[in-house]
Amino acid sequence: MGWKEYFLTALIVNIFQMAIAFVIFSFQGVLPLNPQGFPGLSWDLAFMQAISFGTNTNLQHYNGEGICKQLPNCTSLTPGFPGLSYLSQMMAVQFLQFTSATTGICVAVAMIRGFITHSKDLGNFYVDFTRSLTRILLPLCFLASMVFVGLGVPQTLTGYQSITHTVEGATQTILVGPVASLVGIMQLGTNGGGYFGANSAYPFQNPSPASDIFQIFLMLLIPTSLCFVFGQLIGKKRETRPILWSAYALFALDLLIAFTPNFPVVGPGIEVRFGGFFSVFWTVVTTAVTTGSLNASLSGLNPLVILTAFNGMLIQATPGGKGVGVMYMVMFIVLTVFIVGLMSGRTPEYLGLKITVRDVKLVMIAFLVHPVIVLIPTVLAYSTGAASAIGVGTNSVGFTKIFYEFTSAAANNGSDFLGATANTPFFNISTAIVMFLGRFTPIGLLLALGGSMINRKRLTTEAGVRTDSPLFALILVGSILVLVLLTFFPFLALGPILGFFQGRVNGF
Amino acid sequence: MLNIKGELRQNYGPAIRLAVISLVLCGLVFPLVITGFAQLIFPSQANGSLVQFHGKTVGSSLIAQNFSLPIFFHPRNDSASGVDPDITVQDAYSQIPRIASAAGISADRLQQIVIQNEEGAFWIFGTPYANVLRLNLALIDQTGNAAYKDFQ
Repeated sequence: MGWKEYFLTALIVNIFQMAIAFVIFSFQGVLPLNPQGFPGLSWDLAFMQAISFGTNTNLQHYNGEGICKQLPNCTSLTPGFPGLSYLSQMMAVQFLQFTSATTGICVAVAMIRGFITHSKDLGNFYVDFTRSLTRILLPLCFLASMVFVGLGVPQTLTGYQSITHTVEGATQTILVGPVASLVGIMQLGTNGGGYFGANSAYPFQNPSPASDIFQIFLMLLIPTSLCFVFGQLIGKKRETRPILWSAYALFALDLLIAFTPNFPVVGPGIEVRFGGFFSVFWTVVTTAVTTGSLNASLSGLNPLVILTAFNGMLIQATPGGKGVGVMYMVMFIVLTVFIVGLMSGRTPEYLGLKITVRDVKLVMIAFLVHPVIVLIPTVLAYSTGAASAIGVGTNSVGFTKIFYEFTSAAANNGSDFLGATANTPFFNISTAIVMFLGRFTPIGLLLALGGSMINRKRLTTEAGVRTDSPLFALILVGSILVLVLLTFFPFLALGPILGFFQGRVNGF
Repeated sequence: MLNIKGELRQNYGPAIRLAVISLVLCGLVFPLVITGFAQLIFPSQANGSLVQFHGKTVGSSLIAQNFSLPIFFHPRNDSASGVDPDITVQDAYSQIPRIASAAGISADRLQQIVIQNEEGAFWIFGTPYANVLRLNLALIDQTGNAAYKDFQ
């Protein structure tokens, strides 16, 4: 398939898959496997959630388990709040988590094929999809899910368990369901959408330090592997270096910033079994690979930790989401090669391919999509009064929450401060549009970039800048930071940076 | 220029087929297979790690339950999940004076019970913690104290 055909096929398949999920969300009330009797989701929430899971974002404006009265015993569920039936968790959420992750691998590999010498086309989407799903994701997720069950994650379809007599003689509802089969793919597929509202802070989704570390490993596994796949596929293993080194250099920088304020300890919003260290480490990882799962409440973390979370989501290549992380890194490399070429007066080239004006235009547009779809809706949320309607203020804390919501949506990350409180038509529809554009616009543009490389004449002389050296990796890191910070600094300054300094003054 | 309309028409059939096949495989077969294996190999964990105490199910070891009597260790109520089953060892120690005076057990005995139930210390970055339900079941079972007679 040429890039247009490949992209259109991926798009159509994804739209059909999201449409199926939309129908299941909307009609879960009358469909089977609904022991809690949850009604169907409102159309705007169903629309938003279908796009959210279909775009690998997993922003969630609902609590999967419903909203409990009288925690921790959860004597009953609060009526009127949307929850998900077992059928929705399986055939809408887990389904789209598999397919969106598979799509990510496919489009990344398709783009890379464009750069391979003597490539004829970008491959066949149907073949790529079937192979990635059945040979990589399903087997790995089977193993991961079984490990999670062994560590204490439930997997049952029998409905919530009622304890009629706790130690003190009260009643308690134990919220079990098909959780383990979801946790594997949500982390391995860099999806991040949890079974429970509290995500991986909920003990049934993440019962112990061991399960916590295993989930961190799963998140990093495939995005990191794809850096190696890049070098392997184009037949120059050394070209893995700039991608891997830069991604992990930026990741290390984020860790450094996150642990600067103080060594984190157990406090409000942090689960005892993980403690401060693993809560902060998780938050950096989950945004670095744009998974978006949480094992602590974001409100419980220092503003500088939130700043590093922003870094991960704004760069999207540290090492970034499944598949798209590599694509974004290639985008940054092409931009950097172009800038360095201009500065040193050499022909801009990458992998022996001359970088043309059209290539630079494509990557520039791909880069600029992100700020446009983050910043405009952030401003709209305030100017239309949608933010104040859900009780979010105009101070640095409130601004951080709204800015984070759209950054997370655009980066297809999915972690958020707002959660079920953002279940309003404004936030559902605006984030749905942002997620869709944030996913498929860059994919389309970067497939176009890969497609245009096919049959391009290779320069035989080593005239260009060497891209496999540590020096280039350093320049790449620098140019990524300059590009991203210049674009977003005013907004970051109003949010987490201001929050940090206010906290310093007020004794955070 | 590629004919987009023709492209769409040509792809509808295979795209719908792939969507439906992936739905059945990922959304139905996969979770059902996992459920089957889980119930077979790890039945206790798969059903919520429920705790049996003297023949009765009293709760789950992974989910906090409410303890309000002064003779028991109390869970925390400010955690991210709202059902954090553990408290830090420090927190447990701070509750010892209350329990000691309410139940009439020596502080040394209580401290011993906390130490016996301590977890997480070997993670160098973690904070030592204890499971509240296990602590309280140990109080009932091991102290032989009259205050806990009604809870056996």
